Amino acid sequence: MKFIGSATKNLLSQQSAGLSCQHGFWGIAIPLLLTAIDWPFRGLLTASNILMFYLLGVFFVAIRFGLWPSILASLTNAAAFAYFFAPPIFSLAISESENLTGLAVTMLIGTLTSKLAENVRHQARVAEEGERRASALYRLSKELAEAHLEQEVIGIGTRHLHAEFGSRNTFIFPDRNGQLCRQDDQPLALPLQSNNLETAYWVFSHGQMAGYGTDTLSNEPAIYVPLISTSGTMGVLALEPSDLRRLLLPEQRPFLDTYINQIVHALERVKSAEQAKQATLKIQSETLRNSLLSSISHDLRNPLATIVGAACTLDMDEDRLDKDRRRKLVTVINEEAQRMSELTIKILDMARLEAGEVMLNQQWYAPEEFIGSALRRLDKKLESRQVNILMADNLALVLVDAVLLQQVLVNLLDNADKYSPAGLPIDIFVEATPLGLSIAVADRGPGIPVDLQQKVFDKFFRVNAESAQSGIGLGLSICRAIVEAHDGDIQATNRCGGGALFQLYLPILGCPPSVAPEDSGLIV
Amino acid sequence: MKPTSLPLLLLIEDDPQFQMLLSTTLENHDYQVIAFAVGREGLLAARTRQPSLLILDLGLPDIDGQDIIRHLRQWSDLPIIVLSSRNQESEITLALDNGADDYLTKPFSTAILMSRIKALLRRVTKAPSGVNELFQVGALKIELTKRRVIVSGQDVGLTPIEFKLLSVLVRHAGFVVTHRQLLEKVWGAAYVEHSHYLRIYMGQLRHKLEADPTRPRYLLTEAGVGYRLCEEEPI
Repeated sequence: MKFIGSATKNLLSQQSAGLSCQHGFWGIAIPLLLTAIDWPFRGLLTASNILMFYLLGVFFVAIRFGLWPSILASLTNAAAFAYFFAPPIFSLAISESENLTGLAVTMLIGTLTSKLAENVRHQARVAEEGERRASALYRLSKELAEAHLEQEVIGIGTRHLHAEFGSRNTFIFPDRNGQLCRQDDQPLALPLQSNNLETAYWVFSHGQMAGYGTDTLSNEPAIYVPLISTSGTMGVLALEPSDLRRLLLPEQRPFLDTYINQIVHALERVKSAEQAKQATLKIQSETLRNSLLSSISHDLRNPLATIVGAACTLDMDEDRLDKDRRRKLVTVINEEAQRMSELTIKILDMARLEAGEVMLNQQWYAPEEFIGSALRRLDKKLESRQVNILMADNLALVLVDAVLLQQVLVNLLDNADKYSPAGLPIDIFVEATPLGLSIAVADRGPGIPVDLQQKVFDKFFRVNAESAQSGIGLGLSICRAIVEAHDGDIQATNRCGGGALFQLYLPILGCPPSVAPEDSGLIV
Repeated sequence: MKPTSLPLLLLIEDDPQFQMLLSTTLENHDYQVIAFAVGREGLLAARTRQPSLLILDLGLPDIDGQDIIRHLRQWSDLPIIVLSSRNQESEITLALDNGADDYLTKPFSTAILMSRIKALLRRVTKAPSGVNELFQVGALKIELTKRRVIVSGQDVGLTPIEFKLLSVLVRHAGFVVTHRQLLEKVWGAAYVEHSHYLRIYMGQLRHKLEADPTRPRYLLTEAGVGYRLCEEEPI
């Protein structure tokens, strides 16, 4: 408390240079006022009464204006008493020894009480300053506690340091290569004008303060403070003080240190949170990679084994195989190769979408166009199945990448075909909704368990992983990636009467461009 | 067998296995094949050997396939089929706009390749005017000079633009026509970016000519590339 006290005194003495003159005036004016009040009653009052009044005045000045004005008031009192009240009147001489003793005792009491009053005043100010600092620290730590990013912590730290110490501040951290670099996006209106990275580097490697007003490299315009965390020096704070006293007074140092400690703790916290997040992501991506590997090894190996085996048999036993058997083997090779080709394409598509390589080539299309081309791609597969299309009339053109949208519909229709018993119809519903154009593909298969309706869009997820249906669990993930790239949404539900229903919404983006009407009529 | 009478096909494909497969298959279907792995040699052969058709892989080690097409088109009408990987719609469109006649994306079935080759060679052997007066597929019948369009025996009324669009497709029946080519030929060069015109008129045409416009049998969409008027009724 003591160092803060003297620091406060120092601070106050700077601020109150103008005020002390005013206080001194009251130190003289109040005794003179009392003299004027006492003067008419000089016949009634004894000398000791008058001295008591004067003492009262000194107390008042001491409490209100401080030590020096009160001593000034004591001296003025002595002079006024000697001149106006102590015989001989209108002379500074004092003839009666009683009055002389009284005056001396009054002055002594006045000085002592003034000193006491001054101490009380001072204690009050110290308490006030302490409270102000505590609340400033509280505000700092509260804001820091809410920060989640390193940049936020740096911004808050810079702002609070500036508010408390009047300095312009820059945080300097090592980059990935260990080179120090300053954080450029300082939220402060006036960024630090100069900072010397060499000095910063010295501070960083030695873990000691340097720069302006310190013992090391004191010709620098800024002060460099190391940011020391539990795991070593994490960076350097450069402060360019507008007033050195506010930063480097021995009493200010612990306060500054507290500030810096708070900031360092916050930085450590956000950094470790970030590391934890990275670690989680890494685990997730490894899990994904593992499921990719197991999926690929299962789904690509099997057809590959068949192809290699059939081709070998054809190669070795060509002469011993009859025509029918040869034919069978060739058909098997063809079918399995097709299956592998489909899977490979899906894996590559997903990789391309994931890598963000896909640029949407959005143009205005009528919905029936990409639905039609999707159906045509599945012509052979859907040959024996009834596909009903319920399309609202007068649907507006939509802005889509037709190739990708066609892929979405191919995947959905292919799923509907795979997972519903042969002979049952597939329905396609197309309508305009407030959410945008809605396209739904519905089958009459077993549907999707409610708790899995979100998961079916996850990569490599299959409702029944051991089912005989070939698949890799990527089709719906591709659908979701494409629909989301269009700012749309895709959902899986079960429909009334049984079966799965996949519904996608494509937002209406602006009005389709108009087409100039034809001026001439119909030809025959 | 007279080998000289067999049509000569030029194949430019840099993957040796794939080249071998195509050569074998084509020879098996009574074509003569000369194959090259490098674009320059292929281009030279196109000049000296006078092949009937070129099968060109777009990804070559030495020259860009697009350059080969542009180069060839300066002096030759040689029919060209380009082979490309999937997800290369823009490459395909560019190749078609540069003058290639058709395309196939890998992997493709050799049966489709054979039917495309046949269709292209047939077009070359047609009359120099190139266009059959009467076009017929399934229930659709089009008489170009009389400007008559008949579906299942019923006359269908088309607007001038609809008819123009249809006639461009008829002239290239069986082959893909890119969005750009259609826009340029029907609306003019200033409209090549106005693809929505094409979508709207194609929609109108389908509603008039197709039994089910969502499952067209004649006016087929090649997503991201263009349209194809089906020449033979799908089996």
